[in-house]
Formats: sequence, C-alpha cells, structure tokens
Amino acid sequence: MLEQVAQQPATLLIAPTGAGKTLSGFLPSLVDLYQQPVTGLHTLYISPLKALTQDIHRNLLQPVEEIGLDITIETRTGDTPSHKRQRQRRKPPNILLTTPESLMLLLSYADADKIFARLRTVIIDEAHSLVANKRGDFTTLALTRLQALSPQMRRIGLSATVAQPAALAGWLGVTGTPASIIQVQAPVKPDITMLHSASRMPFGGFMAKYAIGDIYSHIQQAGTTLVFVNTRAQSELVFQMLWEENRAGLPIALYHGSLSKEQRRKTEAMMASGQLRAIVCTSALELGIDWGNVDLVIQVGAPKGVSRLLQRIGRANHRLDEPSRALLVPANRFEALECQAAMDAIARNELDGEQPQPGAMDILPQFILNCACAAPADPELIYQQVLDAAPYQGTDRDEFDKLWQFTVDGGYALQAYERYQRLIQNQHNLWVPASKRIIQRHRQNIGTIVEAGRLKVKRIRRGNQGKIIGEVEEYFAQQLVAGDTFLFAGEVLRFEAIRDMQLHARSAKGGEPKIPSYAGGQLPLSTFLADGVRQLLNDQSRWASLPQQVREWLQLQQQFSVIPHPEQVLIEQFEHRKAMVTLYYTFEGRKANQTLGMLLTKRMEKLGLKPLSFSVTDYGLSVSALRRITPAHIESLFSPDILGDELENWMLQAPMLKRSFRHVAVVSGLTEQRFHSSQKTMKQVTFSTDLIYDTLREYDPDHILLSVTRADAERELLDLKRLAGLLIRFVGKTRLVDLDKVSPMAIPIVLDVRSEQVKGAGAHAMMEQAELYAEAEAMLDEVKALLGG
Amino acid sequence: MVKDNAWLTRQVAEKRIMPARFGGKTWLLDAAGTAYLPEADWLVVSDLHLEKGSYLRCYGNPVPQLDSQATLHRLSRIINDYQPEVVICLGDSFHDTDSVSRMQDADKALLASLIRQVPRWCWVLGNHDPAIPESVGGERHARLLQDTVGLCHEPEAHWPAAEYQLIGHFHPKARIRQGRHVYRGKSFLIGQKLMIMPAFGQYTGGLWIDDEVVTSLIPVNSRQAFMLYDHCIVRQT
Repeated sequence: MLEQVAQQPATLLIAPTGAGKTLSGFLPSLVDLYQQPVTGLHTLYISPLKALTQDIHRNLLQPVEEIGLDITIETRTGDTPSHKRQRQRRKPPNILLTTPESLMLLLSYADADKIFARLRTVIIDEAHSLVANKRGDFTTLALTRLQALSPQMRRIGLSATVAQPAALAGWLGVTGTPASIIQVQAPVKPDITMLHSASRMPFGGFMAKYAIGDIYSHIQQAGTTLVFVNTRAQSELVFQMLWEENRAGLPIALYHGSLSKEQRRKTEAMMASGQLRAIVCTSALELGIDWGNVDLVIQVGAPKGVSRLLQRIGRANHRLDEPSRALLVPANRFEALECQAAMDAIARNELDGEQPQPGAMDILPQFILNCACAAPADPELIYQQVLDAAPYQGTDRDEFDKLWQFTVDGGYALQAYERYQRLIQNQHNLWVPASKRIIQRHRQNIGTIVEAGRLKVKRIRRGNQGKIIGEVEEYFAQQLVAGDTFLFAGEVLRFEAIRDMQLHARSAKGGEPKIPSYAGGQLPLSTFLADGVRQLLNDQSRWASLPQQVREWLQLQQQFSVIPHPEQVLIEQFEHRKAMVTLYYTFEGRKANQTLGMLLTKRMEKLGLKPLSFSVTDYGLSVSALRRITPAHIESLFSPDILGDELENWMLQAPMLKRSFRHVAVVSGLTEQRFHSSQKTMKQVTFSTDLIYDTLREYDPDHILLSVTRADAERELLDLKRLAGLLIRFVGKTRLVDLDKVSPMAIPIVLDVRSEQVKGAGAHAMMEQAELYAEAEAMLDEVKALLGG
Repeated sequence: MVKDNAWLTRQVAEKRIMPARFGGKTWLLDAAGTAYLPEADWLVVSDLHLEKGSYLRCYGNPVPQLDSQATLHRLSRIINDYQPEVVICLGDSFHDTDSVSRMQDADKALLASLIRQVPRWCWVLGNHDPAIPESVGGERHARLLQDTVGLCHEPEAHWPAAEYQLIGHFHPKARIRQGRHVYRGKSFLIGQKLMIMPAFGQYTGGLWIDDEVVTSLIPVNSRQAFMLYDHCIVRQT
C-alpha cells in the first residue's frame, strides 16, 4: 500500500469498518515525516464529523508519542479557540485534523498559499458519506483549491464498503484521473437477527415501546451495546424508557448531535474507558473509529439503507475475524418488512449506494467569493479549477459566468445603477471583495448545512443561573407554554421562558412530557430497499422468516384489503379525520412519489376533488382530500396527458421549490445564516426568502438562482420524462379499493405526518365559514347604502 | 369611491373583501392587505417598507431590488379598484431615511403617478421613515383623526380624542388550524380599542398574533383576526 500511495496522485482505500483503515491512511505520512522531518503543514486530514477529529487526534497521538516521533498533530474545527487558530496559521502543525468547513475558511485567508505551500498529503475520511450531497461537492471544490496551491499534493480517500467503488474513485480524483483503488474484503459476514418479541407489536408508530423489555434484556446479556435510533426524538424517548426499565441500574447513556459539546465529550470519554454498558445514539455515532469493546449493536426502527445498516453494525466488535453481532428491532410491522429486506440483501452481498450527481451550483458563488477573499481572482482561472472537481466537470461556461455575475452584484436583469457590489475589479482587472464587511460576512456563513433555527437549552438551578445542556429547534420552543414539560438530554424539564435566545427550563418530575422534534432528523429510505420490500411482499414463501405477528398482519391486510401486486398499483381509499384519504402503493421510491403527488393533486384540483395535502413515503403516496374518488376519476388522474404545458409553471409554484430556494439563498450568499455572530432567527430568513422567490419569478424569471433552484429541487424530484413512462405503465393497471377505515398496511403511512399542503379549493373549503358569510352580506348592505348616498 | 355594487358583492362572495366593524364604523378589509373606510372614502395601507431590498444590499446581501416595483404595482391595482378620495400610508412606507435616494427612476415615476391620481395622499410617519423628502409629494402627518378613530403608526398612550386607534408597525400574521392542517398568512387584528393592519410591503416579515408583544395590546379573548391566504381573506375562529 505504501508504494502505491507514494506513486499515485490519488488512492482510495475501501475497507469494512474495524479494519483500521483510518490509521493506515496516516501511515505514509508518518513514514514520510519520520524519514524527513519538516516544519509546517505536511498532512491534512478531513473528516465529515467534528467529533471524529478529536477521536483521531487521541488515537494518533498515542502511537506517535510511544514511538517517540517528533511530529506535531492538532485539530482545527469550529470549536477551536481563536487564539489557537491564529497560532495555527502562523505556525501550522505537521498534521492538521479538520472539517470541510474549517478547511474552506482556512483557504479564504490571504496567507493560504503559505500555509498549504508544502502540503504533501490530504486524507479524506468516510469519503462514502460525501458522495452525492452538497457537503461532498463543497469538499471537492476545497480539494481543487488545495491542489492549485500545492500541485504535488496526493489524495488518500478512506471509505466503508460501497456499491460502486469506481464512482467513488472518480469523485475522489482530479477530473479525468480517478483514484486507484485498494479494496479490503470483510472476511466474515455479520450475524444479524430480527427481534421476534412476545409483546404485541404495533401497526404504526416509530417508538418501539413494545420492545423495550427485550432491548433491555439484550443489553443485560451483552458486555457493551450501542442502541442506534433514527431520530433525536426517538433517542430521547428510548433512553427514557430504558431507564424506567433499568432495574439493575446499568450505566446507560444518551448521545445525539443536539447535546452540548461538554455532555458529548463526557459520554465519549466514559465509553472509551469502558464505564458504560450501553449508549442510545443517533447517526452522530455512526462514523468513526474504535469505541472500545462494543459487542452488540441494536438498531431500533427501520434500517433505511443497507450500507447505512452495515456501517452501524460495523461499530460492534472491531476484530475482523469475528462477526459483528446485531439485533434489528422494527418499531412497527411495516418496518419489519424493511428489516427483513435489508437482512436478505446483506446475506446476498448486495449494497445500495448513492449515484454520483452533478455538483450543486449554489455552492459556486460561495467558492468564488472564498477564492477572492484569499487573493485577487481571475474568472478564467477559477473556472478551470471548478472543472477539476469531479462533480463539476460538466459545468457550462455560460452558467458559470452567470453565477460569477451573481457573486459580483446579484446579476439581476433590471439594475439602474449599482452602488453596492460584493466584488470589484482592481487595477489588474482581477476581482477582490468590495469591503472588509463582505469578507467577514462570507467567513461567518461558510458551509452548506442550512440549519433550522436553534435555541440553547439552559437548565436553571436558581435565579437565572444554570448550565447549557444542548439545543432544540426554535419551532419546538415556540409550541411550549410556561409549565409544559418536555424530554431533553434524558431528563424531564419544565419550560419557563425564552430569554436572550435561550430556552430556560428546570428539572421536573412526571407529567406527560413532549419530545422535541428535529426537522433534519428523518432518514430517507434507499430506493434499493423499497424495491426489496416489494419483492418480499409478493413472495409468500419468504414470509416464513418474518416474526409471526408480522405474518398475521399481512394476512389481515389480505383479508381486509389486498396485498399490493407487482403488476398493479393498489389504491386504497378510506375516511380519516374528516377527510378522504387515498393511498397509492407505487413502491417507486420517494422521488417518484413526490413528483406524482404534485401532479395528482394538481389534477384533483381541476376535477374539483378538493385536495388538502399529500405526504410521501418510500412505498407510496397518501393524498387527503375533501371529496371521494371514483374509478372514473382514477382513469383521468392516471392518464399521461397529465403532463401538460402548464405543468412547468405549476411546478415552480410548488412549496418544494420554495424550500429548495430557501437553501439555495443561504448557500449562495443571497441571505445569511449568521451575521456578527448574532444568529438571525430562522423565521425571518424563511419568510423573506419565500417572498424573494415570488418576486424573482414575477419580475426576473430568467435569473440564475431560479434555474439553480430548479436543478436543486430535481435532486428530490423525478424528471418528467421518467414519470411519463411510469404513468404509461400504470394506465389500466390500477385497482381502487374502498374501505370503511384505514387498512393494516396503511396505518404506518397515515401516521407519518410530514405532509405538503395544496393551495386551492380544498384549503378554502376547510376554512369555509357559512355563518360568517351571512354576517358579511348584512354588513355589506350598510356599506352599499353609504356608498350610494 | 367604489361605485359598482355588483363588483363589491362579487368580491365579498369570493372572499376577496371582508366587511368588519371597528370603532363604530364598517370597514372593508381587502385580501390584498388594505382597509377601506366607506364613510370617508379612505383607503388605508401600512408598512410598505419601500427599498428594503436595496437597504439589505448595503449590508452585502445581494437580494433582488425588485421589491419596490412589486409593492407599487400591487398598490396601484388596489387604488384602481377603490378609486378612493384619500390614500393613507400608515407609516414605515420607506424602509429607511435614504430610501428615496436609492429608488430606481421607474419606481419613482410610478409612485409619483399614483400620488397624482388620488385627490389626497397622506403619509403618516413611522419609526422607519420619520421624515420623507418633499420631492415625493403628498401630505405628512404624525397622526390623523376621523371622529373617535385615530390613525397612527404605533399605539399612542396619550391621545384622549382617539378612543379607538388604527395602527401598523407590528406586521401581524396568524395561523388557522383545521384538523391536521395549518394555514398561515398575514393578518388584520381587531381588538376592542385597537386595530392593527398587516404589512403590505413585498419584503416584510411578520409577528405571530400570539406573540406576547401583540397579546399585551390585544388579548386573545377579545380579538378578531382576519387572515390573508391565497388571495382570500378568512376570519380566524
């Protein structure tokens, strides 16, 4: 391996979790530094998680000190104190461990060329988690910039096992020169079982309350257990329920991304020193290196993706020759199908993976500004650097120029005179930031993660004195009334007030605590797994491996309604909470269902069916409306001429596009997330970007950010051509079943509450107030008399 | 003056206009966010925040400077609908004291033609626009009075003549919950002594009517909220 790395400009090391790949990634650098000690930065390590840099730091220092190597190693993240950051710029360590955002920030300094001039190696850890997302695109741009500053730099990517190694290698290398691949196979398959509980398993819901007893006894029998859940809300609740069950007083901890840094460090340290028996955690603990002797991983809730599940399971038992042990605990009966499909896929050695996508264009203005902050910028040169980043290799010059112009002055069609520019030209015709303020503002807003507004949670002891224990979303905080109790950081708190952007609360007992929800907490299911579930449903011979309760549930569905057939789209209709709900079991994945939902509700609006909202899952689409649907309606709903001319325009009005625009506006620097460290409340940002979107659509419809938004939304939508094909396949192959109430299979889908509202007759009918209208007419007569006289 | 009774009936039927009582008078609340007082032939609009876009640009946000144009176009349509004797802009018409100098020529011309078109144009001054350059035209007032209803930008604590006050400033917005669906929009808010106009400007945000700041002026149990949603006006019940 050492030889290969030395010769190649880029190397991708793929190995299963636990194979020690992170430390092997550092090996060439350590050898290099041992043979030829240097001053200044030699190796840069980029990790997608802040916590990981701490971890690696700890694990790297130990051997280096033991061998007695004279190598300096430091971390640099958003948590690094400013005096240390300044010192790092003057006197960089040999090895710097950082995140993509902190790296981009370093690249924005005027002395970036000096800092990175002698950089030899850059290590990108957990590279698989950076493909096909904005953060990954952002990272590739930072890499091309680094490469320009130090052309001799070699890239080493570290990745868990992926479905398409070649695609990842292409992503890692400079455009046109994919990384060479070193692949280490896992010698043993993990030992995975699904919980067959004696307690009654619910039809719907996501909290797995029924299985807490089982989970607890597994924790008791194992040495150390990681309990993975899918959302932060779930982690709080599962943690709470486990402690209620915790008769033996086992040390069980909680870990998720919204807890305060101190709290997380403490848990990490306790885990590393073997003081804990179990941690309830979210994906925040998914990546990373050795967590000591974890010998069981419990996945609560659906695994959502095969690769993700393998990654989580890999946290157990970091010895390659022994199988990792895992227990899957579906929270409802539908999730049991997903668990089974995932287990089957793992047994067959099949993986799901993200296909690489063209880079997100809203990052380019940020990148352009970043380059200009470091040194006077030449559009031609920067365009060439952009092309060197693999996701951006197809970037059109025309589009780049428009984004350049947007960065300079907003790029609007109508501009009488421009007094305020972000970039201006210097005497050499190169572009520089117009003011210090522009630079400062840019540095405070670097990144691609647009967060929901957050409030710090302060646990009050007396007076206003207390301790910050983490953060909740502003949205949740606004729902609280003084006296409400809620679960946070594993304890029940009583809400007092919001003061100075902090949520003040005291420890409390009892009541029915609410659970903070986090918008970002949902994990999308891979299309691959959705397909697996469909196959499982239709192969009754495979039902035998499912827990008995799940089999009974499927039989119940068979009797009450129908099991979805592969050659047919099952449509169930029933009344639920004063609305007619139709469920379309397409099994086409979230993207297709999202687009289909937009189309169907549009057509329903035309047919006078008064749609109210729709929600998509990976399996199907649920539409709620005021009127009942008949077979005749279905025929016209599913006719391919639904893709009419006005569709394009209609799509641009969809709430989804506004959501995309919100992100695009922040990432491209149109509006800001942070300014002078006083965080603008998300409410203000949200409101104004929607209005800006409407204004642009009306008065500057060709503006570059609108096409960027459209492209951004298409990452979540299915393109119309494919949808047309899908609709043609559906024609005449639908089966509408009218039911008295929600079917067994529909329960988990109906309980999923993230829905998209439809503007139109349905909404107005919901707010119809007949008696008020009579009153209004009476008043109107007075008015008419006044106007007449 | 609105002459066409048939038009008025249609607008009410389509929920574009909602009549409401305040201060012993009947008002026509428009889904566009304006209030019309038939007995005086007044059209009231509040918080235009003209040139907020260019203001934000000063701070490095490259937001489109199209907000003034959009706001004025909507205002122009409303004025054509009502043909009022008096237009009253209830404060914060301009986002800051330099707004007028930043306005694009076309927008300036549009505003001037609107002011010419109406017999009387009154600027009630607000905290964002304590002074408006003379070049703009129209009258300037700290406050206006019609019988016992006083019009001002922010609530006045000591104004005995104004038993009732019509104000702007707070940008109220409301939500209506129907089952599992929640609808949100800018809102008129009417209390016993106080009525608050929604913000009309293109780039104006809002404050929930359940916010402490608003409920301390108009308590929940004594209020009527008229929410603007998808070109209609609906009452919160």
